[in-house]
Amino acid sequence: MSSRTFFIGGLLVLLVFDTFAQVCFKYTALAAAPLTFDLPWLLRALSSPWVYCAILGYLGAFVTWMTVLRRIPVGPAFAATHLEAVGVMVISIPLFGEILSWVQYLGAALILAGVFCLAYGERGHAPGESH
Amino acid sequence: MSTSILIALLWIVNLITDTGGQLAFKAAAIENREAAGWEHWRHMLRRPWIYIGAVLYIAEFFAWLAFLSTVPLAEGVLLGMAGIVTVMAGGRLWFSEHFTRPRIIGVSLILAGVALVGLGGMSA
Repeated sequence: MSSRTFFIGGLLVLLVFDTFAQVCFKYTALAAAPLTFDLPWLLRALSSPWVYCAILGYLGAFVTWMTVLRRIPVGPAFAATHLEAVGVMVISIPLFGEILSWVQYLGAALILAGVFCLAYGERGHAPGESH
Repeated sequence: MSTSILIALLWIVNLITDTGGQLAFKAAAIENREAAGWEHWRHMLRRPWIYIGAVLYIAEFFAWLAFLSTVPLAEGVLLGMAGIVTVMAGGRLWFSEHFTRPRIIGVSLILAGVALVGLGGMSA
C-alpha cells in the first residue's frame, strides 16, 4: 500500500470510529439523563448499552491511530485529524438540523484541501527521517 | 491568582499535555519497528511510552474542560491551532520530521480552515 493510500485510508477509518463513539456518547447521555453527576447517574449511564459501544469506538480509534503513527510523521498526521471538525459539521446537518454559515463551508473546504495536500506529500521519506 | 494568569496557566497545561501526549504515542508506535501485529502491541504495552501518552491524554481532557469553563470558545479554537503547530515542531525536534513544502502548505490550509470553522460557528 502506498503511503498516500495508507494516510487517507487510516484517517477515514479513524473518522468513522471517532464519529461512532461520539454518537454513542450522545445516546448514552440521553439514556442517563438528567445529568446529576452522582452515583445513580453513573449507574444509569453504565446500564445503557450505548456506553459500551462508545468505549468500543474509542478502542478502535486508538488502535487505528497507533497504526497510522507507525508510518506517518506525527506532525502532519495530527494536523490531518482536524478533518473530524468537517465530519462533525456534515453529520450535524441531517442529525441536528444545523445550518452552516458560508464561512464554515469555506473553512471545511480549506481543511479538506490541506488534508489532500498532506496526503500528496507522503510519498516515501526523505533520508534521515526516523519513521 | 488573577484570572488572566489562571487562563495563561491552563493554556500552557493544555498545550503541554496535548503535544506531549501525541509525541509519546508516536514514540510508542515507532519503537521496535520490526515487530508486526500482536507482537508490536505486546512490545508497546511493555514499554512506558504508551502509558505516558495515555496519562497525558486523560490530563488534557480535564485541562480542556477547565480551560473552556474560563474562556469563550474562540480562545479554545486558537488553542487548538497552537496545538497543531507545537506537535509539528515537536515532531521535527524529537523525530527529525521534515518541513517539506506539501506539509507546510497542507498544515497552513488546515490552520486557516480550523480558524474559519471555529469562528464562523459563533456568529451563526
